[in-house]
Amino acid sequence: MNRFNRHVLSAAVSAVLLGLGGLAHAENTIKIAVAGPITGPVAQYGDMQMMGAQMAVEQLNAKGGVNGKQLEAVLIDDVCEPKQAVAVANQIVNDKIKYVVGHLCSGSTQPASKIYEDEGILMITPAATNPAITQQGYKMVFRTIGTDDQQGPTAGHYIADQIKPKQMAVIHDKQQYGQGIAEEVKKTVEAKGVKVAMFEGVNKGQTDFSALCTKMKSENIDFVYYGGYHPELGLILRQCREQGFDAGFMGPEGVGNKDISAIAGPASEGLLVTLPADFSADPANADLVKAFKDKNQDPSGPFVMPSYSAVQIIVDAIKGAKTEDPVKLAGYIHKHSFDTPIGKVAFKENGDLKEFQFVIFKWHADATKTPVK
Amino acid sequence: MKPMSRHLSEAALVALLAGLLTVPILGIQIQVEGINVSLEGEPWPVVLAMIAVFVARLLQIPLKAVSGLIHITHRLSLPTHLPKAYVLLLLALVIIAAAIWPFTASRGSVDIATLALIYVMLGLGLNVVVGFAGLLDLGYVAFYAVGAYGYALLSMHFGLSFWECLPLCVIMAATTGCLLGFPVLRLRGDYLAIVTLGFGEIIRLLLNNLDELTGGPDGIGNIPKPTLFGLEFARRPSIEDGTTFHEFFGLDYSGADTVIFLYLVALVMTLFILYVINRLIRMPVGRAWEALREDEIACRSLGLNPTTIKLSAFGFGASTAGFAGAFFAARQGFINPESFTFIESAIVLAIVVLGGMGSQIGVILAAIALTALPEIARQFAEYRMLIFGLVLVLMMIWRPQGLLPVTRPRLELPVRGEETS
Amino acid sequence: MLEFSQQIINGLTLGSIYALIAIGYTMVYGIIGMINFAHGEIYMVSAYIGLLTVTALTVQFGVETVPLILLFTLVVSIAITSAYGWTIERVAYRPLRGKPRLIPLISAIGMSIFLQNYVQIGQGARDLSMQPLISGGWRFGPEDGFQVYLSYMQVLIAVVTVGFMTALTLFIARSRLGRACRACSQDLTMTNLLGIDTNRVISLTFVLGAALAAVAGVLISLYIGKINPFIGFEAGIKAFTAAVLGGIGSIPGAMLGGVILGLSESFASAYLLTEYKDVVAFSLLVLVLLFRPTGLLGTPEIEKV
Repeated sequence: MNRFNRHVLSAAVSAVLLGLGGLAHAENTIKIAVAGPITGPVAQYGDMQMMGAQMAVEQLNAKGGVNGKQLEAVLIDDVCEPKQAVAVANQIVNDKIKYVVGHLCSGSTQPASKIYEDEGILMITPAATNPAITQQGYKMVFRTIGTDDQQGPTAGHYIADQIKPKQMAVIHDKQQYGQGIAEEVKKTVEAKGVKVAMFEGVNKGQTDFSALCTKMKSENIDFVYYGGYHPELGLILRQCREQGFDAGFMGPEGVGNKDISAIAGPASEGLLVTLPADFSADPANADLVKAFKDKNQDPSGPFVMPSYSAVQIIVDAIKGAKTEDPVKLAGYIHKHSFDTPIGKVAFKENGDLKEFQFVIFKWHADATKTPVK
Repeated sequence: MKPMSRHLSEAALVALLAGLLTVPILGIQIQVEGINVSLEGEPWPVVLAMIAVFVARLLQIPLKAVSGLIHITHRLSLPTHLPKAYVLLLLALVIIAAAIWPFTASRGSVDIATLALIYVMLGLGLNVVVGFAGLLDLGYVAFYAVGAYGYALLSMHFGLSFWECLPLCVIMAATTGCLLGFPVLRLRGDYLAIVTLGFGEIIRLLLNNLDELTGGPDGIGNIPKPTLFGLEFARRPSIEDGTTFHEFFGLDYSGADTVIFLYLVALVMTLFILYVINRLIRMPVGRAWEALREDEIACRSLGLNPTTIKLSAFGFGASTAGFAGAFFAARQGFINPESFTFIESAIVLAIVVLGGMGSQIGVILAAIALTALPEIARQFAEYRMLIFGLVLVLMMIWRPQGLLPVTRPRLELPVRGEETS
Repeated sequence: MLEFSQQIINGLTLGSIYALIAIGYTMVYGIIGMINFAHGEIYMVSAYIGLLTVTALTVQFGVETVPLILLFTLVVSIAITSAYGWTIERVAYRPLRGKPRLIPLISAIGMSIFLQNYVQIGQGARDLSMQPLISGGWRFGPEDGFQVYLSYMQVLIAVVTVGFMTALTLFIARSRLGRACRACSQDLTMTNLLGIDTNRVISLTFVLGAALAAVAGVLISLYIGKINPFIGFEAGIKAFTAAVLGGIGSIPGAMLGGVILGLSESFASAYLLTEYKDVVAFSLLVLVLLFRPTGLLGTPEIEKV
């Protein structure tokens, strides 16, 4: 089936969906599902996502909503588990919600995205960075964050050019996100002649890493890259420093969270993290930052602004395309660019951002960070 | 009869205990903000818990009367000897009703019913192992996983369809069951339970660790749904020149068709399992299962080989789980090791025990109840699993023999006083 | 060789925690032949109580004397956790006495699900973390090479574990109640006939098991420093494995099983791959049961017709 036919078909299907969705249309709200972890070990990231999306909904509603309708954010918890994410996606289909901002973890985004694509629901993830998500040829899937094949090389080049380790270890949590980025880093540093002496997975939820630390210490590892989230890295840092293993550590944005300092304490000092640029430091966002601060919220988390932007893109597209049909909106988003707190954004054919920058930060024991370079 | 003051002081004591227990968990909350930890008092839950326990303790006497009532209803069991034609008619009516129902119900409830049918299949399979053969299996979910991963991998690597894979999955699960069963079935009772628990965990960890084969924690996605004589249920055919169900019949695409079709497939599969089990338990092997459960030593004295009998029950239970597993993978479209944790085995076991061990109607009802309960309780969101756990405990206290215990023909010497109670 | 001794230290620390929890499983099984699946959750509850008490003392009241904090936390945690153990037995298991063994098992699974969600509602599902109370330790080995590190915390864990184990062993061997416990584990009905209140003895076993789990919970929240409502399940299964490994029903067996399990996990992640440490632990369980079904120190049961 060629592309033209596919478009005709999807237009026909969406017409049917619109007919079916007549009831939902009569309502005066536009529902946007915000799906991510509200509970579970990485709920902190979910907070950033929910905070950003809710702020966007509030501010856009205060400006009169869209086409005379108010927006409503429906927060749904997927605990960052792929199995739950499938259930959540089905629930969104059942509830006839047509736009999703989420999911957060790559592992749960991937299976959910298939359902959204099949059912014609517009999905924008503000946080899932695994490249595979946008390599499935889907039309309904976008993301307002960079990918691991941008983030991995950023980290890899920095390690190879600035740190120049003799014996390096790459550890990951075996999940789509963690392992994916760990492999990117390994590829980049090996191409530049750095020796990766250990490449090993740990299990999510594991708590005792003392044996792993001893092993790295006895292999004379002088630098460690960890692909994964902060609960595990926090414990690895704490237990390794305790044993007197003083190699440098680096991780992706999944570890860049205040909780890592709560877990690792002083051991988190000097950790290197690749994060999206701190959009809250951008003077153009000063008003928005103030709005967050007024609500006693912290806008500097890596997913707050991408999440805000995702909501804004949906709303701008509805205004611009003068339709609420998600399939048409997806077409519109592909062709236009949008002014958002993360800058002026445009999307590639596969739904990735045309441009996105990762920056390297140094983490401190008091849970603050400073940019490197 | 104790004096009222005694009751009051007892109730006060129990309320104090409740206070002591709930203060550190419900009464004081630990708040972590960045690197700062602080405590926050929340007196209301504790006070409520204390009052609730106090009142419950005082009302214990009336409650006992209620539980006495429940005791009386024990005796009201179903009539056991209905005429055969009557039973067949009833069965046909139930099946027809179950087949028509999805066309009238909402998409969400059909979806849940499909899930319930999966648990019915699992419950029926485990019922053979635990209820009939009396082998306590705590790692049942392992075979469920074998079926699910079997289908996912076969369809991914060899492009086999669901219906081609189904018998293969059954064979794979049965083989795994026999391979695991052979060395462990000589163990008795609790040791068997522990070894099967160990095996269940090992299989889950292997699924998690053999990344190249199983995709590790990310699992396997894009598993095709079953087809109706080659007609796919999808918006667009996944292969070139394929035809989808709605195109073939000239209908508009609707996601609900898929859901109803999956439900009907599950219904047919459940009926098939039910049929096979009912044939088997009337055959010598089925009789041997029950005999073995009642007395292993007597069985051996009669010349029955316990290992073969146990192995057949274990293998049959495993193949049922494999059957259900393949369907689960197809329905879900995505599987990962999270779906095959110990708690899943525990829930299936709870279904068997709650239904009344060995009672097939009981198991079916329990499976439906236990799947529906968390869904009904969804409006209580965070409390639903709490309620689920509580219901398990209370059911064991009030009705340990299960919802519909089986009445088996037996001869017993009358015990004095039994008739009058 | 130095790495090897470091791995032994790592394994022994982990093993001590497993052993403390395993005692609870083994004592209950020894007396009423029941697998108390909710025991892992008791340990989880105690970890929360421990974290709470330490936070209250250090943040709220500004206490700085480490031994005082430690002692007070242990006392509070043991007291409340024992109350949990007693209540659970009273509410969920005592009404089921004498029923087929599957019934209390299901009840225990229900209790375990209940406790996990109860803590989740009370304290949230998130990780709670705490800064180390006791830091520092001794180093051995060459200045420029691999140094073995033995932290004060690890020594504390070992000392506390050995201390409580000794106390328990003496209690079981010497005291009147301990003798009653041993009698009950040999023949519950007979003990009852001899005029011993077996219900009280059973309650006592649950209380003792919970108390030791409380010690393990406090130690883990000090050592690892990160807890959530789901830690009980994994620790419970591991400790249960340890109990079976050593021979379920035998107290020295539980200690031995815990240490073996801790060491084997440590070696598996050192010389194989970290991700396979649990596979090794469970394979060990299966192998021991296949070749010596009663565990390492258990006595075989003879079934009479």
